[in-house]
Amino acid sequence: MMVAMSERPLAVLRPALGFPAPIQTSLSNGCPVTLLPLATASVVCMEFWCQAGSLQELPGESGLAHFLEHMVFKGSEGLGPGAFDLQIESLGGYSNAATGFDEVHYHLLLPPEGLGLACELLPRLVLQPSLENAAFQLERQVVLEELAQSEDQPEELAFQHLLSQACGSHGYGRPILGLKPDLLAHTPNSMGAFQQRNYRSDRCAVAVGGNFDPELLLAQLEAGPIARLGRAAQASPRGSFNFQAGRQQLALPRLESARLLMAWPCPAARELDALMGHELWATVLAEGRRSRLVEELREKLQLVESIDLDIHPLEEGSLAILEATTEPENLPRVVEAVQQVLQGVQEGIRPQELERAKRLLGHGHSFGLEATSQVTHQLAQATLQGRLLDLDAPLQRLESWDLERLQALAPAWDPAQASVLEVLPA
Amino acid sequence: MNQLVCLAQPGAAILAARLVVPLGSHLDPPRRAGQQQLLAGVLTRGCGDLDAEAFADVVEGLGANLRCEAGDDLLVVALKCALADANTLLPLMLQMLEQPHCAAPQVELERDLNLQALQRLQEDPFHLCHEQLRHQLFGSGPYGHDPLGLAPQLASIGPKQLQQAALQLPQARAQLVLAGDPEASLLERCQERFSQWSAGPVAEQSVAPSPAGSLGLLACDTEQAVLMLGFRTVGLAHGDALPLRLLQVHLGVGMSSRLFQVLREELGLAYDVGTDLPARRRDSPFVWHLSTSAERLPEAMDALYGEWQALRQAPLAEAALALAKAKLRGQEALGRETGSQRADRLALLLSHGLPADHNERALERLGSIGPEQVQAVAQRWLLEPSLSVCGPAEALVQAQRHWDQCWLQGPPPGQ
Repeated sequence: MMVAMSERPLAVLRPALGFPAPIQTSLSNGCPVTLLPLATASVVCMEFWCQAGSLQELPGESGLAHFLEHMVFKGSEGLGPGAFDLQIESLGGYSNAATGFDEVHYHLLLPPEGLGLACELLPRLVLQPSLENAAFQLERQVVLEELAQSEDQPEELAFQHLLSQACGSHGYGRPILGLKPDLLAHTPNSMGAFQQRNYRSDRCAVAVGGNFDPELLLAQLEAGPIARLGRAAQASPRGSFNFQAGRQQLALPRLESARLLMAWPCPAARELDALMGHELWATVLAEGRRSRLVEELREKLQLVESIDLDIHPLEEGSLAILEATTEPENLPRVVEAVQQVLQGVQEGIRPQELERAKRLLGHGHSFGLEATSQVTHQLAQATLQGRLLDLDAPLQRLESWDLERLQALAPAWDPAQASVLEVLPA
Repeated sequence: MNQLVCLAQPGAAILAARLVVPLGSHLDPPRRAGQQQLLAGVLTRGCGDLDAEAFADVVEGLGANLRCEAGDDLLVVALKCALADANTLLPLMLQMLEQPHCAAPQVELERDLNLQALQRLQEDPFHLCHEQLRHQLFGSGPYGHDPLGLAPQLASIGPKQLQQAALQLPQARAQLVLAGDPEASLLERCQERFSQWSAGPVAEQSVAPSPAGSLGLLACDTEQAVLMLGFRTVGLAHGDALPLRLLQVHLGVGMSSRLFQVLREELGLAYDVGTDLPARRRDSPFVWHLSTSAERLPEAMDALYGEWQALRQAPLAEAALALAKAKLRGQEALGRETGSQRADRLALLLSHGLPADHNERALERLGSIGPEQVQAVAQRWLLEPSLSVCGPAEALVQAQRHWDQCWLQGPPPGQ
């Protein structure tokens, strides 16, 4: 097929994991597009991603990225509030959106015959929001209700506290939903300025997967507003942050079980290989009953209801976050037991533990690509961040890890390096 | 009788399996709420030659996903694994129900974990509100509690009772649905074992009679109030189930739905608003839910009341009905992409004694359902409102006043 001109060299991808090779291309203004035509799929999925997460908010702008994501669905020129949802859902389709620290994305899943309409409407909706004042005032109420709903969950409050403790004044320490005084002060104009600054051709990406005709789709995207976006005024700065180790306590009303939260700094999301090493560590430590922490704290000592350890990949520095749920009176023993397990594992991971972790992670990756929407989601994010690789690349990375390389990461899991939060009922 | 069905996906590298028996939490014996979920959890803690540790070694060592849970109607074992591992894991799945250990230390551990989970769930106002609504709709019998159970009753369940309950697991009414490309010889072996299952009859619990409408109030020191409006309706096989599903989609599925449009888009009352209509064997609860600032509770109650009455008093507009039908067709199409989704749906249908093509037949019937039929169904089943409210004490006073003034007046005359 004809591929539009492109500004950056594109890796040649190959078929993998039962999928054909994704097609990498870009619109005439440089906006990258990745397509995965699947002739046998019963659906089509379209995702639009933009580096306009809460990290891009300037002082006073907190919550704007997320609020804008809400306002997008309140209409665009010639497309009244709710008109988009009505048209997409009348076709049997489904749309959604989510705002993170690094990115915002818009998602559509629909029967194949709906793609033409979706491709016409979604770019208009996302890139030309009306930001009409009455709708803005009303939607602010909805966002405030969302904030209140989240603050009524003590677990959310505890998690937010940990992030601000570990990340300090960096954007990752600020709630994505925003601070209430800022939310009350936002105006359609301030939102418009945020939109104009961030929704630019070099900060956006599109991916489409499923049953569709790539040439038709590209022609349609090229004729629409995505292809008319200009570049950002300045390159998106990619910084880092000073992770703050330390220990704090927090008392929360309405908390029933105590929590131990711990965070460790991890390599940034672009450091795929190093991050995989940390994923292996997290799996050895806390995935499944035979993992070190679950086995010791839940199965043997019977001190916790649950203990989880997740890696959160982030562009300016990822985080590993541990969360244990326990009876308040057991919290000190949990803290101690976690320390002991982490110290014990410094002596080395056993070969069978590594094999088990590789299987769990490898299958987890393959299992997570079963649905068209899942694979499209991964392609879109990788395209946006400029690191699109073969779909089986994570499996190959996994294989490159052995006990010796893993052992070199052990110091990173020192409990003394962590940001620790003990949460008790008030 | 037991059925083993394979949804063939030639060449698929992944196998999804659902093993389902009709032994959900509705069978929790009196004063043992939580028994079936506890049993489900314990099934992953040792069977046949494998103790709990060895069992976890096999499953996790193969990188498989295996979980076992009790829902309201069904006890479900769900597996997702690499195809090559199916030779080990499918027989293991059968063995979980044939020869579970239910060893005392494992039962006690699982029970303590469930008790702690129940305690943690008390932090969630949605859970509290929903549990109150369950009780309003179903009393203390079947469907009246979360499958996790009620803490004091769960605490009293011991290994002996669980071992007794486990005897019913190799049921002659089990379904095993696979999606993938397993070897024929593996299927034969499973079929052979599976066909020998014939545990004795299960003591059914009778569901409490349908209650009169009621208001449930639960004080909770939150910023928002959570509201859930529930009605007891019909089971999956009932003729009114499809029109009810249309009503649910019309009211609460997607951003074009009626409750989303009115409560969120027009009034800005809530972020999260929607409806649930779980597919049950009988008496499916139809739940409308939202959470709003405590001071706006009366406004939200007004809006809910208005929407409820509107459904009963006038037929849906043709356009609204057409939209609901399109969304229902879309849900059907989008919800059968993965092997797990397809296996889930089929296992559910077969377990309820419905034909495998039940959903396709329903879609065919969709065209003939008119606004009057939907209205008649609303009048038949949305009769007695049960409203559960969870929020700050002063908001509850408002809720009681509003209920007395407005909801207690009953439906307008002429119905």
